[in-house]
Amino acid sequence: MSFIIRGARIIDPSNDLDQVADLSISHGKIDVIGDLKNAQAQIDIDANGMILSPSFVDLHTCLRDLNQVQKGSIASETQAAASAGFTHLCPSPDTLPCSDAGSVIGMINHKAKAAGFCDLLPIAALTKDLQGKQLSNMDALSRAGCIGFSNASYDISDNTVLLRCYEYAATFGLRVFVQAQDQQLGNGHMHAGATATRMGLDGIPVIAETLSISRHLQFMQHSGVSGHFNQITSAAGVALIRQAKAQGLNVTADVSIAHLCFTDIEVEGYRSQYHLQPPLREESDRKALISGIIDGTLDAICSAHQPHESAAKCAPFAATATGMATYDMLVPLVQGLVEAGELTWPQAIKALSTNSSTIAQGLAGKICTGDTANLTLIDPTHSWLLTPSTQYSHGTNQALIQQKLNGRIRLTIKQGQSSYTM
Amino acid sequence: MSNLANLQLTKDGELRHFLTPEGLDRLMLERILDTADSFVVVGNQEVKKVPLLRGRTVVNLFFENSTRTRSTFELAAKRLSADVLTLDINTSATSKGESLLDTLQNLRSMHSDMFVIRHSDSGAAHFIASQVTPDVAIINAGDGRHAHPTQAMLDMLTIRRHKGNFEPLTVAIVGDILHSRVARDQIHALKTLGCTDIRLVGPNTLMPYAIESMGVTTHNDMDTGIDGADVVIMLRLQTERMACAFLPSAGEYFRLYGLTTARLAQAKPDAIVMHPGPINRGIEIESAVADGSQSMILNQVGYGIALRMAVMSMAMSGQMQQRQSPIPPNNVTKEPRL
Repeated sequence: MSFIIRGARIIDPSNDLDQVADLSISHGKIDVIGDLKNAQAQIDIDANGMILSPSFVDLHTCLRDLNQVQKGSIASETQAAASAGFTHLCPSPDTLPCSDAGSVIGMINHKAKAAGFCDLLPIAALTKDLQGKQLSNMDALSRAGCIGFSNASYDISDNTVLLRCYEYAATFGLRVFVQAQDQQLGNGHMHAGATATRMGLDGIPVIAETLSISRHLQFMQHSGVSGHFNQITSAAGVALIRQAKAQGLNVTADVSIAHLCFTDIEVEGYRSQYHLQPPLREESDRKALISGIIDGTLDAICSAHQPHESAAKCAPFAATATGMATYDMLVPLVQGLVEAGELTWPQAIKALSTNSSTIAQGLAGKICTGDTANLTLIDPTHSWLLTPSTQYSHGTNQALIQQKLNGRIRLTIKQGQSSYTM
Repeated sequence: MSNLANLQLTKDGELRHFLTPEGLDRLMLERILDTADSFVVVGNQEVKKVPLLRGRTVVNLFFENSTRTRSTFELAAKRLSADVLTLDINTSATSKGESLLDTLQNLRSMHSDMFVIRHSDSGAAHFIASQVTPDVAIINAGDGRHAHPTQAMLDMLTIRRHKGNFEPLTVAIVGDILHSRVARDQIHALKTLGCTDIRLVGPNTLMPYAIESMGVTTHNDMDTGIDGADVVIMLRLQTERMACAFLPSAGEYFRLYGLTTARLAQAKPDAIVMHPGPINRGIEIESAVADGSQSMILNQVGYGIALRMAVMSMAMSGQMQQRQSPIPPNNVTKEPRL
């Protein structure tokens, strides 16, 4: 299938490209970037006012399926991801059963392939059954296609086990992914601050994150493993990552779209859609996360997509499941940051595509002639209403449901083929 | 109008749920106190009943143990002539795995008019009023560490009956602020009623994050904290706090924060001493103070019934008015025509 996308603002931070031009795709590859006035193709799109970006790569997502089909299936959630501009996803290993065996990884990959919306670059469990006791078969899992190892949200409290995990991963040059939150101090339901105090909810102090980051950084430094931190939430957390990078440590980090856009104030009124782990923090933290993306301390923006069925969020706040289904509102949320003057599209694309693709060893993240086309076309001004019938995710935990949103993906191209069209 | 007020009031501004004093205005809190004042005398009559809730069904749902609050709610409902059902949920349906949502919807289908709810999760009453059974009047009898509005308001009634105007008062609240749902609501109510000098006294381990944002001052030292106070409110210290490393020992706590006769001399000579009960003699309060002339502890219990009668009758009346306007569709299938 051949495409011509005419008049889009083509942004590729990997080679400092930001220009209005036409782009053609034939035989799955990017053919020409330039003036294509007289050329023809099977699909011809007038993309005036739109942004053409390398497709997005998600470093942290939960696709459910297996024993959690009531929350979502790999087919439904990868389709939602494609509708948000993603072609490559790194699913978290806290699947059910967890991703500690080649058979589980094989099943997940098979389902994604059959659906055809996104390619998976799975993160495998760092320890068996995520129990923090016994190492997983890292080499075998890596050969099965896993691009990193993580213990998901389960802290490994035994320092000996953690050290050996990192030493073993370093042996084979494997990357570890960390959700940094101390288990004991993280035993709460929202950010420890004025809102939690007034609402009488158990707070999670910032030190739950900083203590864990410091601990993992020391283990990374000692073992030489390359590490990636998922979902930094606080200003103090950003400062620690900045310091580690300045010292030359081989670390990268991301922030979730929710932490970049919302604060603990949203929990007011016991709104369970904003019950997240790690928790939403204060406005000063949110500002620091934005600065972290701008100055490169935080490499990537992840979706931290976690779909749920409605019953999971319908209970007193502390008893509700944590997480937000974010794919359907990701592009509007980024557009909101752009409209507020907090971020530019080139900065966002660098974090959603260029850097995340490098970390995930993905094939996306670039727009170069001759390369396989992994692209997404963003219509930043398209205004639409998020409803159960316009959403793609199976998750009912859509924080912005029934709201008018600006910005939507017009087209996503995965390996030269359309994986989503509006 | 804040979200919390919206949820608790009818569109005409009448009380229909009572979840927390937060968000309610001074006029509404004073109306609750005035109504409670009028009920204080009912307890002294030969026939201790008024017919305000006749024909109405009140269900007491205690998901958490309580003796005092439960019995005063039960008495209050009976003195208002309501039909009262008290359920001990610990031994009931939810222990069989039924969700809170299903339990409540079942009870609503039995045409209950009011739920009095105590639950260990903060926001439980709020959840029920906003999402489960908005057309049943909800009275919060304590949710987690969030709110215990009838206790806070009976404390306000005690203060007003014995001290009058709130504006010039200095109120010290001493002890386990962190775990206290009562303290939070006392702060909201005191501030709304005009009190400007509210002091919280305790060690940092029992002081919640950023509590100053609620317009109070914090004091680690008991003597300076209660210095010149008109009202000293002692909070109950749960003994399990020692096991969770909040405090070293009951002995050290009493030495630092226990209210003794000598220490009470720091407060104004006519200061009153309050405690939501049940009291731990020798841990947070000395017997001589608990039983002394400045103690209001037993008065509080008596006022508790009057205050609960007040909010139950007000919320029932508000809820009935709201029902006159179109009732939100009940998801119960209609009776077949026979």
